[in-house]
Amino acid sequence: VTVLAQLCASLYDSRIGTGIRESDNLYSIIETVHVLAITLVVGTISLVDLRLLGLVLKQAPVSEVLGSLVRVTWAGFALMLATGLLLFWAQATQLSRNPMFQLKLLLLALAGLNALFFHRCMRRTVWDGTTRAPRAAQISALISLAVWSAVVALGRAIAYF
Amino acid sequence: VDVSLLGIFRWLGSSWLGTAIRHSQWAFAGIEMFHLLGLALLGGSLVTIGGRMLGLVMPAQPMSAVARGTLSVAILALAILVLSGVLLLADDPLRYYANVAFRTKMLLLGTALVTSLGALRLLSATGPPSPRPPPIAVRSAAVLALLSWLAVGIAGRMIGVL
Repeated sequence: VTVLAQLCASLYDSRIGTGIRESDNLYSIIETVHVLAITLVVGTISLVDLRLLGLVLKQAPVSEVLGSLVRVTWAGFALMLATGLLLFWAQATQLSRNPMFQLKLLLLALAGLNALFFHRCMRRTVWDGTTRAPRAAQISALISLAVWSAVVALGRAIAYF
Repeated sequence: VDVSLLGIFRWLGSSWLGTAIRHSQWAFAGIEMFHLLGLALLGGSLVTIGGRMLGLVMPAQPMSAVARGTLSVAILALAILVLSGVLLLADDPLRYYANVAFRTKMLLLGTALVTSLGALRLLSATGPPSPRPPPIAVRSAAVLALLSWLAVGIAGRMIGVL
């Protein structure tokens, strides 16, 4: 833990970290891109989840909805991760102690595990049609909607702690 | 009764709603979270519809099917955004009234709505069979609409900075 704290402190004190933090506009610009990237990630994931629950795009095969949107999700994720790392770089010391940030990281890991579980379970089924999705996929979709909503809410909450 | 914009903003701020949000410690933050969730839903559905118009997303699906399924999500998201937006506004209307970024955002929101409706109209005018690739007019309209929405988002972020 002390090693992590030291790492955060040296990130915080580094030239890049200090530069982002003390710049007039850089921090806000990175933050704006971060929020827009989250919009791409959470928005496309939500649409796939709603498709799995049979609420939207019912005529389209799940593989097609997923195959198309997952590219947008990954592009958004790369942007979200890159900007997130820059924001962390500038605020490493405070963020690492922020309970909302810690919880957000935990839920991000949970979202990742849920996605892994979902892709494993989809690979083993032949289902792709317009009927109801398998129970496991539906539960995974509900967990995904809940966890990603919480990630967005916690991201906002960081600023209040 | 003062029906000018400033009058309506003053009334909103002094209404029980504005007073309640101002006096609550967590109301503003909570409403902000809903606003962000609405933003995420809107972003995802707009990228899907726009991407379909560009022929990039779900090209094998008929445009009408993609639009029907995704537009309902976009409209739901817009409803969440407007509702939570009015509540955020009620917290301190005069602050937003004077904020250049807020005014710009409202103008851009109007632009985004007009360009989006224009793109959808153009699409229905090109008829039900979805040609691949989509006509250049449809693609340009989609790009214009997506850029307008992007501008709304950036102006929204600027409200807090200015």
